[in-house]
Amino acid sequence: MTDTRARSAGRRTSTVWYRNIRVRRAIAQVVAVIGVITLGWWLFSNLVTNLNRLNINTDFGFLGRPTQFQIPYDEGFNPRSSVWSMVLVGVKNTFLAGSFGIILATVTGIVVGVSRLSSNWLVARIATLFVETLRNIPPLVVIIFFGFALFTFGPFPIITEADQYSFFGSDHNVLILSNTVWGIPSLIAEDGAGIFWIGVLFGFVAAGLVARWRTGVFDRTGRAHHRVILALGTFAILAFTGYLVAGDAYSLSWPALGESGRRIVGGLQLNWGFIAVTIGLGLYTASHIAEIIRGSILAVPKGQSEAANAIALSSFQRYRFVVLPQSLRIAVPPIINQYLNLMKNTSLGVAVAYAEITSLTLTSIGNGRPAPQSIVVLMGVYLAFSLTISFVLNAYNRRIQLVER
Amino acid sequence: MRSMKRLAVLVLGLTLVAAACGDDASGGGDLLADVVERGVVRCGVNDVLPGFGIVDDTGAFSGFDVELCRVVAAGVLGDADAVEFVGLTAGERFTALQSGEIDVLIRNTTWTATRDGQEGATFLFTTFYDGQGIMVPTATGFTSLEDLADANICVLQATTTELNLTAVFNARGIPFNPVGFADNNLLRPAYEEGQCEAWTSDVSQLTAFKATIEGEGGAAQTILPDVISKEPLGPLVRDGDSAWAQAVEWSVMATVQAWEFGIDSSNVAGYTSDDPNVKNFLGVDGFETGIGLPTDFVVQIISQVGNYEEIYNRNLIPIGLPLAGTPNDLWSNGGLMYVPPYR
Repeated sequence: MTDTRARSAGRRTSTVWYRNIRVRRAIAQVVAVIGVITLGWWLFSNLVTNLNRLNINTDFGFLGRPTQFQIPYDEGFNPRSSVWSMVLVGVKNTFLAGSFGIILATVTGIVVGVSRLSSNWLVARIATLFVETLRNIPPLVVIIFFGFALFTFGPFPIITEADQYSFFGSDHNVLILSNTVWGIPSLIAEDGAGIFWIGVLFGFVAAGLVARWRTGVFDRTGRAHHRVILALGTFAILAFTGYLVAGDAYSLSWPALGESGRRIVGGLQLNWGFIAVTIGLGLYTASHIAEIIRGSILAVPKGQSEAANAIALSSFQRYRFVVLPQSLRIAVPPIINQYLNLMKNTSLGVAVAYAEITSLTLTSIGNGRPAPQSIVVLMGVYLAFSLTISFVLNAYNRRIQLVER
Repeated sequence: MRSMKRLAVLVLGLTLVAAACGDDASGGGDLLADVVERGVVRCGVNDVLPGFGIVDDTGAFSGFDVELCRVVAAGVLGDADAVEFVGLTAGERFTALQSGEIDVLIRNTTWTATRDGQEGATFLFTTFYDGQGIMVPTATGFTSLEDLADANICVLQATTTELNLTAVFNARGIPFNPVGFADNNLLRPAYEEGQCEAWTSDVSQLTAFKATIEGEGGAAQTILPDVISKEPLGPLVRDGDSAWAQAVEWSVMATVQAWEFGIDSSNVAGYTSDDPNVKNFLGVDGFETGIGLPTDFVVQIISQVGNYEEIYNRNLIPIGLPLAGTPNDLWSNGGLMYVPPYR
């Protein structure tokens, strides 16, 4: 037997090169790559030929030329601003709706997901109703619903008769509500803002050092570390000191109705498109995240909870130290997907006249900018958003995954 | 092996995509022959604009622009019903035309230099002379553009209207906030519920919506007297195919010529005249122009659809757009409707 094996091994080494599996794989790869590149080139040249035949430009020079239109609720933008600056405004608006939507979706999703597992009958049923309603409706419909229900046919008055709320005895409005735009107070950076932020930075670093020190003490002696409260305290003290040293870091800007009575000046203005998109997508995505949370908690084996009970952990400790760390590992990858979806779904904002990047790009195309190049820019923007989200969250995911040593 | 499989799938996918958008998709040089062979004209229209192009509960299209599509089909194919209507938003229309999804676009589209130059489109005979206006609820008491300072103004996205609005208000130094909607179905409730103080669009559209809103029991509407732009609307086709462009243009112009001759759908059958121009027009004695349309195309158009005046009266008079004395009247009545002679 030994003999045969040795002989067959010998034959194998002397096989002709094209029968070698490695060479064959390499050749297949090369052929496939060439095929893909050829196809891509063919598609591209096809596009360019056809566009040239129609006398449509194929360069990106249009990005530097003025848009000739105005963007709603953006006073910094004027018709002479370039198409490129329009793209930046669109990116900003997409980012705002997407990031606030993600925050809303995460908080609501966790609350609803945990509520579905509640032993309280009413809480669990309400959570089920929320999930089953929202996740079975297309996101576009949800957005239009919030746009219409809150604003178009909603309870708020038109801007000239806007509701203005102020603290008792104060001249300043803390809240202005109308069916197009809401005004809330905002902070305006003053001269001392830089010094304040230095204080914040110091606070951040010091808080990290305190946390490490307390962790070290805990590891060595086993005494209670209290690292969260001590680190936060350190941060707050240093940041506040920075604020006092700076003198006037920030001042408050209060919203007020402008001279014409048809717009809000000062404060932070939230337009209805933004609110409808953020709430609509936030709640829609929350219904999906809730299911992921519920599933991931249920996926932690029952024995883990029983073991935690056996060593007399409280219900909070059981969740904090045993169940959640394990369920998080299961939940994070699908939640990343939901974040990506939410960011991309902001493109539905056009239905409620929200000036996000897709809506602005379509306007720009309709006004004579070349469609293929505009769409390329648009795809680049969404790609950048999605890759950033995946990169950050995948890094987080790697940190919390089980490390096998 | 898995990565190879993935590559194979990718290659296959790309091939399918490539096949789907091959060279011919955007139209070679002989669309007229293609259309005749296909037996149907694909026509891009508006589907939410009363009077011009609107789709009803049963999915049937009607309106001025829609009838012009039927005119083209009657002229080219001899059958006014051989039309496949494609409802398009303002933002989609040029892409649909460029990509070959439609053969002709008749969707209240304004002829401008940039569109002619950059959209790869050829604009044909202007079928409706329009201008941009501004509508406000009568109750607001607005009477001029200056009253609209800081107002939210509803406008359709990706239209010349949006650019005119910006240009005119900026030139006069009136601050405003444009609220751009993708289509009229979303814009109208926002306007009626006061999310915008004003609605700007072509006067024809505003007139149509004024009639609809008031007819459905809504608030009284006023169209401000200022007309802030010229809006010549007409059919357009892709650049680079003059045979198809001529076929569409002469089909559409035939409706105006018939009106001028006094030929309509009731008298076209058996219409006789000693005027050689009329004889040529109706294809009597086998008169051939070489445009590539059937000899009897005018008879088909007029008998199946009607002349310009009939189409106008059917669709635009009911929504409150008069014909007599407007630029859309015949040149002989002081209007702008003037077509080259048929000889």
